[in-house]
Amino acid sequence: MKTIALAGNPNSGKSSVFNQLTGLRQKVANFPGVTVEKKTGVCRLGEQEVLLVDLPGAYSLYPNSSDEQVVLNILANPGDENYPDALVYIADQTHLEKHFLLLTQILDLGIPCVLGLNMADMAEKQGLRVDTAGLSRLLKIPVVNFSARLGTNLDSLKTEMASLLASPPPARQEAFHNSSEAEARIISRIQQDLGVENPYRALLLAHHADKYPFLSQEDKQHLARICQEEKFQRTRQQIAETLKRYERFTPLLRQCLVESQERVTFTDRVDSVLTHRLWAPVIFFTLMFLVFQAVFAWAEAPMNWIEQSFGSLGSYVKETLPDGWLAQLLADGIIAGLGGIVVFVPQIGILFLIITILEEIGYMSRAAFISDRLMQQFGMNGRSVIALVSGGACAIPAIMSTRTIGNWKERLTTILVTPFISCSARIPVYAVLIGFVVPPTQVGIFNLQGLAFMGLYLLGIVAALGSAWAFKKILRSEDPSWLMLELPPYRWPVWRNVWLTVYEKVSSFVLEAGKVILLISIILWALASFGPGEGMTRASEEAALQARQNNLEVAQAADLEAALRMEASYAGHLGKVMEPFIEPLGFDWKIGIALLTSFAAREVFVGTMATLYSIGSTDEEATIKEQMAQAVHPETGLKVYTPAASLSLLIFYVFALQCMSTLAVVKRETGSWKWPLLQFFFMGTLAYLGSLAAYQLLS
Amino acid sequence: MSSAVSVLKEGITGKISHFTSDEVAGKLLTMGVLPGSRVQIVRIAPFKGGYYLKIDGINLAVRQQEASSIVLEIA
Repeated sequence: MKTIALAGNPNSGKSSVFNQLTGLRQKVANFPGVTVEKKTGVCRLGEQEVLLVDLPGAYSLYPNSSDEQVVLNILANPGDENYPDALVYIADQTHLEKHFLLLTQILDLGIPCVLGLNMADMAEKQGLRVDTAGLSRLLKIPVVNFSARLGTNLDSLKTEMASLLASPPPARQEAFHNSSEAEARIISRIQQDLGVENPYRALLLAHHADKYPFLSQEDKQHLARICQEEKFQRTRQQIAETLKRYERFTPLLRQCLVESQERVTFTDRVDSVLTHRLWAPVIFFTLMFLVFQAVFAWAEAPMNWIEQSFGSLGSYVKETLPDGWLAQLLADGIIAGLGGIVVFVPQIGILFLIITILEEIGYMSRAAFISDRLMQQFGMNGRSVIALVSGGACAIPAIMSTRTIGNWKERLTTILVTPFISCSARIPVYAVLIGFVVPPTQVGIFNLQGLAFMGLYLLGIVAALGSAWAFKKILRSEDPSWLMLELPPYRWPVWRNVWLTVYEKVSSFVLEAGKVILLISIILWALASFGPGEGMTRASEEAALQARQNNLEVAQAADLEAALRMEASYAGHLGKVMEPFIEPLGFDWKIGIALLTSFAAREVFVGTMATLYSIGSTDEEATIKEQMAQAVHPETGLKVYTPAASLSLLIFYVFALQCMSTLAVVKRETGSWKWPLLQFFFMGTLAYLGSLAAYQLLS
Repeated sequence: MSSAVSVLKEGITGKISHFTSDEVAGKLLTMGVLPGSRVQIVRIAPFKGGYYLKIDGINLAVRQQEASSIVLEIA
């Protein structure tokens, strides 16, 4: 299958085009070696099908972010697996001039191109007209005028794509960029020494030698030597080249553009409120508050429904299948594990629905603009705000969203502190434990438990900002930090894009994080169901004996047996090994097991507690709370879950990084185990010390 | 009269005469910001925060430190 790449600046409406051309036939993965999202999809062009690769948005082949680096790596390397047979360049025709820099660079690389002028609807509204035929003559490439938003004229785009593949144009004789003398000298040396044919590709080698992952060490050294001998000044040459390109295409464009008068646009009017020095922060925080309310309120009903469905499915399996390890594995291992994954779909879905809408409208970049100053105080970037807010649902997509931050130190800081923000997986734990410590009293219009919830969130935010501040002092960075953020015009969201993004985020959570959660859920089940030596059998006998002595009912006897077996199991032994370490925090071995299992995913805590207190398939919070309330220490006879212990446990959950999936994502984003390990230990230390202080002071 | 964006007030318009930092110039050029581009200072965030600039019809947010390398020719 032939490959066609889709390229363009950010905000060119490229993803709308991609969605229109591929629909649901798309796949999301990562470009090799980096976590830049790679979207591919199959597109039908008449008789044939082609593979469409959606390249990340880029302004030029001189990268300022990892997104742009990926575009360069692919387009400058014909050996790359994603190197396209042809390319569709999407430009926003209402700001045509600034979209031409990358276009002319790509043309100079000799890749066959179609120019797609997107946003025909916007241009019409603004009274703007582009002479497509004239532009096509001047650039010597096919030009199509269309609107991805309305889906108009996309067929012509497809026709041009098909004919470009059917009869590739002959290699261009004349490059768009006329090399300067210094450039020409270095180009010819590189062409000779490295056997590169295309002159612009040779020039880019001189500029980016040290950043290309596909070059051998030998070639890199050789290129460095050439650059040194020729006294090649990278930044100077880049500026000169860029200016020359503008000088050349600006007059070309003037000929083909009928421009309207500039006027106060709708965007200007909206921005006079949304970026107002007083209103902006008020609106921002109100909006974030509403987002949170929505995530909690709207997700509640579907979450309950999912929990109940999986609960009854589990019981059904246990009732129908013959009793034995298979039925238990299915009900307590697999079905419970699946339930634990699916239950988070509503929250993740709603959060991404809102974030995507805000992004599509154009608000997110304003949020980054207004919070940049504040974030800088903590060694981060305005864009970090998006990650920190998303962290409220799940740290995994949040950490993935940091890749638009160009400065490594700011990006790393954001990645390291995002897991402090209380994610949705902590909610069940908070809910159970707050129910314990805090009475549901009304104080004015507030509910005391609600306030406690908010307090825990604030604690997480304070920890995130505090440690970010500390990292700012510790981490060194050579990279200059910058913002340079485009604020796109406000637009009505394209619902198709919104749905596809939400679908994609949810399915990647279910498939990626879900795998780990399910696996751990099964391991846990095994740890709790089997034990060393004869322990398990003896536990059953002991339970039967006690049941006879005390005349217990059948259900009570079963509960007792399960509890004793748990104590004798591998999990029980692990918990007991941990007990001396966590006793100063007020935790017993059962909590120890729950801490271990939470490492798979925090929400597992509730499920583990249910198993430990042998309340079988009832996953209900109320039941667990009752059981925990009755729990007493076997030696001292005192209650285990005193307010002090519960508070200590809450603090532990606010601070500790108990999430394998997050660690895996951080490893992928930072490229080494160094950062996730550091993150794990400093968050763990903070959790331990915080809990210790809370318990020792209160008990 | 020419002066850096960072010392100007909200609402002022002018044309870019030059950049004082190659680093910043290199990045701004790729976004279509050139000498000769018409700039309007739309908004300055409080406490020396970001600058919201309208440059040839494109809205761009930059930091104070970047704004200080953009020199405007004011009519």
